[in-house]
Amino acid sequence: MLSEVYLMCSLPSLSFGQSPPITFEEFNDMARSQLSAKQYRMLEQMSMQEMGEEGRKPRLKSVKDMLEGLKKDLMEIREARAVRRQPKPEQLPESVLEKNPLDRELQILLWQWEKLDAMVVGKNFTLADVIVYKMKLQLLFRIQSFKPERGEAVMASVFKPSKKKEE
Amino acid sequence: MASIKIKYTKTERARQKKILKVSERMLPLFEAMEKSLMSTILTIAEKIDEIRERIEKNKQAAESWIAVMGDDWVNIEEFISVNEVITRPMDVAGIRLQQFDHVDFNELPVHDDTPLWVDDALELMREQLQLLAEIKTLEVQIELLEEELLDVRARVKLFENRRIPNAKMAIRKIGQKLQDDERLTIATAKVMKTTVNNR
Repeated sequence: MLSEVYLMCSLPSLSFGQSPPITFEEFNDMARSQLSAKQYRMLEQMSMQEMGEEGRKPRLKSVKDMLEGLKKDLMEIREARAVRRQPKPEQLPESVLEKNPLDRELQILLWQWEKLDAMVVGKNFTLADVIVYKMKLQLLFRIQSFKPERGEAVMASVFKPSKKKEE
Repeated sequence: MASIKIKYTKTERARQKKILKVSERMLPLFEAMEKSLMSTILTIAEKIDEIRERIEKNKQAAESWIAVMGDDWVNIEEFISVNEVITRPMDVAGIRLQQFDHVDFNELPVHDDTPLWVDDALELMREQLQLLAEIKTLEVQIELLEEELLDVRARVKLFENRRIPNAKMAIRKIGQKLQDDERLTIATAKVMKTTVNNR
């Protein structure tokens, strides 16, 4: 317990939309030095990105529920789009439907952020708190990757093959 | 032009007249073909400009959200690529060209948990890739039509500057020569007759 308290007190606080105040290497180094080997192994396996992948079983039930809820809502939005009807998401706020793709993704990330915050209410300085910190850090790094120049480079790389001479 | 050897015979004159007749009939056809090719090339170039404008409009529409395509968690390049540009043959001004029909894409299925922006990005990319492929097909059409235009222009010049003037000159020269020959024959005959009578 003390190790989690010390670790959480040493980590900079995170707020949605800010630049990540700490790198993953720094976070991992601090966690490795403070947590037990078993706790660190568990923390290492926790990843927002991989938990979202098909067939992965999130170890935290609340995270699993959040991701399942998100998945259902995404399915509902896609189905509604396919038949041109108004989608009715259960978890996500309806405001996400009006936004452009970037704003929508940010709204979804904000929703995930708030859900993660809610998961650790009353669980300060626990391993769950550390895990949620890591996930929020991952969200911040993801948001940081949303850069116009990167997006344009991705678009350009997709268009490149079409420049090949067609036979 | 001056170095052309002309046979001063009636047969040659008839042959040159035939060449002139055919050339004068062919020239307007080639001129019309030249005009038609030029107009077709212009139309295609205008179409390319229109498509470029659509591509630019799509880009501008996506400008406000293109940043999300930089998402570290998604590799959008894996989701879509061009498999084949499908075209169908058509004849323009007598030339066989390929007309754009559609693009056959290699697409990975979008999973239920794939971020929602991927759907919008794929829609945009499909549209842009189709438009780019159409431009490519039209550019190839212009290349072929321009090759043909060069050929037709060469023919027009050939008829205007060589065949028709050469034939006209040959006909004139043969005519003069034949007239001279005729006069000479008559004069010779008269001289011969006078000489015989005087004896």
